[in-house]
Amino acid sequence: MDNSAKANMTPNPTSNLAPNLTTVEQMEADAAKLKELACAACAETWDDRRASQQPQCVFGESGICCRICSMGPCRITKKASRGICGADAHAIAGRHYLRMAAAGSAAHSDHGREIAHVLHMASPDGNYRVRDEQKLLRLAAEWGVETEGRDIYDVAREVSEIGLAEYGKPFGKLRFLSRATKERQELWERTGVSPRAIDREIAASLHMTTMGNTADPEALVRQSLRVGMADGWGGSMMGTEFTDILFGTPTARATESNLGVLEKDMVNIIVHGHDPAFSEMVVLAAETKELADYARSKGAKGINIAGLCCTANEVTMRHGVRMAGNFLQQENALLTGAVEMICVDVQCIFPALAALAGCFHTKFVTTSPIARIPGSIYVEFRPETAMEQAMQLVREAVGNFENRDAAKVFIPASKQAAVVGYPNEQIIRELDGVTNSHVDARGSYAPAIDSIKAGVLRGAVAMVGCNNPKVRPDYSHIEIMKELLGNDVLIVASGCSAQAAAKAGLMSREARFICGAGLRRVCELVGIPPVLHMGACVDISRMMLLVNEIADDWGVDVTQLPIVGCAPEWMSEKAVAIANYVVATGIDTYLGIEPQVKGSERMMELITEGTRKITGAGYVINTDPRELAAAILAGIEAKRAALGI
Amino acid sequence: MKLLFDRVFDGAGEMLAMAEKEIAAATAELGEAAPISMPNTAYSLACHNAYLGKQIRNVSELARGFSEAKEWASGERRLGGAFNAGFATFMAAEAIEACKYARSPDPYGGEYHGHMSDAEVRELGVPLVTGDIPGFVVIIGSAPSDEEAVELIRGYQSRAIFVFLIGGIIGQARRQNLNMGFPVRVVAVGPDIWCAAHIISFVNRAAMIFGAVKPGDREAFDHYTFHRIRAFVNAFRPVPDIVVASGGGAIAMGFPVVTDDAADMWPVPKSLIIQQNTADFIETSLEARDIKIKVSKIDIPVAYSTAFEGEIVRRADMRADMDGSRSDCFELVVSKEAHEIEDHSIELIGPDIDEAEPGARTSIGFVCEVAGKAMQSDFEPVFERKFHNFINCVEGVMHTGQRDTIHIRVSKAAFDAGFRARHFGEVLYAKVKSEYESVVDKCAVKIYTVPEQLKELRAKATEIYNRRDERLGSLTDESVDVFYDCILCQSFSPAHVCIVTPERLGLCGAVSWLDAKATNELDANGPCQRVSKQRVVDENIGIWEDVNERVREASHGSLEQVTLYSIMVDPMTSCGCFECICGIEPFSNGVVIVNREHDGMTPLGMTFSEMASMTGGGVQTPGFMGHGKQFISSAKFMKAEGGPARIVWMPKALKETVGAKLNGTAARLYGIDDFVSMIADETVTEDAEALLEFLGGSGHPVLGMEPLL
Repeated sequence: MDNSAKANMTPNPTSNLAPNLTTVEQMEADAAKLKELACAACAETWDDRRASQQPQCVFGESGICCRICSMGPCRITKKASRGICGADAHAIAGRHYLRMAAAGSAAHSDHGREIAHVLHMASPDGNYRVRDEQKLLRLAAEWGVETEGRDIYDVAREVSEIGLAEYGKPFGKLRFLSRATKERQELWERTGVSPRAIDREIAASLHMTTMGNTADPEALVRQSLRVGMADGWGGSMMGTEFTDILFGTPTARATESNLGVLEKDMVNIIVHGHDPAFSEMVVLAAETKELADYARSKGAKGINIAGLCCTANEVTMRHGVRMAGNFLQQENALLTGAVEMICVDVQCIFPALAALAGCFHTKFVTTSPIARIPGSIYVEFRPETAMEQAMQLVREAVGNFENRDAAKVFIPASKQAAVVGYPNEQIIRELDGVTNSHVDARGSYAPAIDSIKAGVLRGAVAMVGCNNPKVRPDYSHIEIMKELLGNDVLIVASGCSAQAAAKAGLMSREARFICGAGLRRVCELVGIPPVLHMGACVDISRMMLLVNEIADDWGVDVTQLPIVGCAPEWMSEKAVAIANYVVATGIDTYLGIEPQVKGSERMMELITEGTRKITGAGYVINTDPRELAAAILAGIEAKRAALGI
Repeated sequence: MKLLFDRVFDGAGEMLAMAEKEIAAATAELGEAAPISMPNTAYSLACHNAYLGKQIRNVSELARGFSEAKEWASGERRLGGAFNAGFATFMAAEAIEACKYARSPDPYGGEYHGHMSDAEVRELGVPLVTGDIPGFVVIIGSAPSDEEAVELIRGYQSRAIFVFLIGGIIGQARRQNLNMGFPVRVVAVGPDIWCAAHIISFVNRAAMIFGAVKPGDREAFDHYTFHRIRAFVNAFRPVPDIVVASGGGAIAMGFPVVTDDAADMWPVPKSLIIQQNTADFIETSLEARDIKIKVSKIDIPVAYSTAFEGEIVRRADMRADMDGSRSDCFELVVSKEAHEIEDHSIELIGPDIDEAEPGARTSIGFVCEVAGKAMQSDFEPVFERKFHNFINCVEGVMHTGQRDTIHIRVSKAAFDAGFRARHFGEVLYAKVKSEYESVVDKCAVKIYTVPEQLKELRAKATEIYNRRDERLGSLTDESVDVFYDCILCQSFSPAHVCIVTPERLGLCGAVSWLDAKATNELDANGPCQRVSKQRVVDENIGIWEDVNERVREASHGSLEQVTLYSIMVDPMTSCGCFECICGIEPFSNGVVIVNREHDGMTPLGMTFSEMASMTGGGVQTPGFMGHGKQFISSAKFMKAEGGPARIVWMPKALKETVGAKLNGTAARLYGIDDFVSMIADETVTEDAEALLEFLGGSGHPVLGMEPLL
């Protein structure tokens, strides 16, 4: 009997192949039940606070309130078209915009720097080791580091030192730029978008926008692209590379997503934030027999680690740790009353968690000097003592199990199976599986390119970004994805967008049944889900490499590819940095939330059309997810037509 | 470059335009009410049936079907749109062919095969599930040269791939005198691309027959063909749009297309592959469809493949003729102690083939000695019965019969290639060792050709056969502790499970209780599992809780209960590749049995194909049941309803096959002599009323039995 037939012994499905997806309505029903519990516990959540914030300041929202110096605040109105110093709406909005990009770039890059330091102290018998030697050796070769006959940890130290130098080197451009296509590199150089040292671009951005400096919106936008580049092709890319070296390059693995991953009979510990250095240790600590035994001695069936936000993305890709949810799920997770400890690192952490944890037995632990929050238990994470610290925290969480109030526990049943972990290396491996050794070379994106050229796939979209209460949480992510999948558009996703997809069930292999015939066939032949999980928001750097490598294999420039980015629910300054480097890389970016510059027509024009003259790409903004999806599809088809495919 | 989807849409448009013209001509010539059908099928126009869920019975229905098909080619620029256009192309092609069959039942007059019958579909069930046929290739167009055409076809044949030919390559093969036909698994389907409809019809019927896929459920058809039918296409350049459109349909079904035409062609991984080196077509195609060929390297001078299993060596072409009905011939497997056997010893005792006059009748006997720690004497007949299949796969050698009734012919071509008597030994050695490797550690073959010696050895062999028959006769459902299930067919018929008992062999006729036992010994996690029979619910009708449990599990919950001895209450399901089907005949209260080979009418007013279409695919249909030929003479044959005495009609040929044993059973059970003569056949009548009259005249016991309904 042939094996493929054997492997598929299930009876034929009938036409009713619709996978069991979780709808936004179901997610909202779960959230509503949790909200009832919150009211019973007198706990406040984001929607209460958002209501209290209404109406939100129109000047702030439009980017035309300047409080950069103490002459202000100044705001632009019909009567007052300039601030006290004479800055107009365009200058004020432009400066804010650049400052957001700079802050976002700082956040990702500082995260990358932290990982570089961890790599620097890695040792064969320490808490942190080199797990992916090949990747380290490749990077060493790229950076001209001698590897022959050297101890791998010596190599790691030298590589991390070079990486750290990228933050403050006095001369030259960032090393990773050479990974882009020749066309991109020349364009960046020509247009002044090539970033110098990472910290320098951030500092320059702050300098440019301080009182009495740049008032030309075009220059501000150009610097936004450049400081974004310092993130995407600098700090973020380094964060991704070094994380892979330290914790292993992710491979495809099965996991589950949504609040249903919390376990009634187990000690639940949530890791939340973005930097996996500490959460990796928490995961390992929870796996020790000592602590598992301790949990059983306390009447629990074991220790259950679940992730939130991008820390979840990091640990799920490498360990299959299950994901409780994305940004706007953080309070819901605590409202289940079943969380013994929430342990956070950096970025996207609500200060509100302190008060909320106080309504339950939950211990709220902050670990980074970057994210100090009143009301939390602060345990400053140090790489040298990380494992002992993690063991101690997990022990405390187990000890806290007995304090759980069963009357307050409600864990929604919703969860979905997902296959996660598709970095570029894994995508190539998967594509190799559909090559034919008699006609094709392996190790390239050619199978994907051929599928796009033939029209089987119309293109690809990188779905990224956060949740934002300005729109229905997750609704835009999920609805846009469904629309794209139905039109044979492959999706790569990261960050909170990836989590939305996983919660909905779009990262299961069964999700192929909601796709158009082309994407479905690709998923069947390659054996992948239609939405590929590429990692955390810092891993959007992977997407930049992906697109450049595809352009290289195809023999066209990045801007010509029917591949675009979309951040339908973005909110963070990091998203502004990302959007800037994505556009700088030549990829059109579709936004479902307006950047806070609409008080300046000039700025609106610059970010949607102006950048096209610089990088060949720009934003398309539409707050209606259906219209945004239609715009994406039209954009993809226009690029196809231009290529004659 | 012209876009791929545009090529598909244009090609579909061409086929549709042609179909429209043909339908209009048929309407004008034959009239709207003129019947439309394909011969020997219960599935009407199977492509229309599959995709539209409609049976097309006459020209006006064909015209209406055409308007629907046309809508499928809407030109939506997505793969889904191209797939639909591909299906529209197939329906249009089927309409063109149907118009030909409306004018004549045999429009190709033997020149081309054209439509394939349901029986032909069912015949391939077993070789497909066993992997004896690892896949199908459809070759379209003309190869660069006649020699290359034949090389390609023979390359597939030697890998046991079933070959369908369309267009120019047929003439190329004929010019090279290639032996073609359904039995040698090279079918010249027809001269034009629209003849592809016959192949798609064939495949869609496989889905309905074996997979119980419901007409109109296109998703399920695609799923079935994608996962279970290992087919692919080779298209030679130039590949016009109309072939591209057909290729679109093939790819939708999961069948990759490999072509040497690079002009305006868009490669798609694992689906549309440009291979400009036609010499690499075979390997490229097999990889594209994930077909792995089991290599059995046998040291003989001719090809060895299941593709040659159905080959016939005619008198004019034969060099050696060994006929067990005229002289002493036999084949025998005996177990020995390991130290008694020298592994791979092949001994010819007597003169070789070349020492006899060409075409002269000679005799031959094979003794295959096996040894192994896990060997059991019960496996001897299991191996021995496979000799027919093992020897038949040699190119240019024909084998029929078993035991001492074998008849073997060696063709002149095989002889000229160097085939001699010892090569039988090589074949038996290689196959026994590879097929039964977990029980056979050592194997040796002795080939006898001296008539006097053969006479003596045959007498000894007969003693062994008799002992085995006694042992088999003593094996009853009551005398054993376990039954076996067999889910070999689930690769094609995913909801079906057979329960095999000593008195009820698998419905395909290929798996007896001993076979199942051996299969289980060979691979404990394989397709045959032990089923205990401790929890009896009703022994008369044949219900065991153990059996039900196994059936529920093995059918993935689609079956709750089966009875082993009733055709009225929860009868055993079938996959579709059954040898025979029986169905109740309401006027006489009996059953009609018809075998797959019989294509005539029965007193039920249904042909084999039509009766067969009532069941199969793992579905229970009380009153209809598929079964093996040997089951007819079993005392357990519809025991719950009174046993074989219910049989009122069988084709004459089937009566001849099972008559002696059935008479024996009837004598034992009812004390009736020559029961078979009381059973009607097609020479008596095909009419229900006349049947009743005949039964009254012959004193058939069924007339005194309880009503079935």
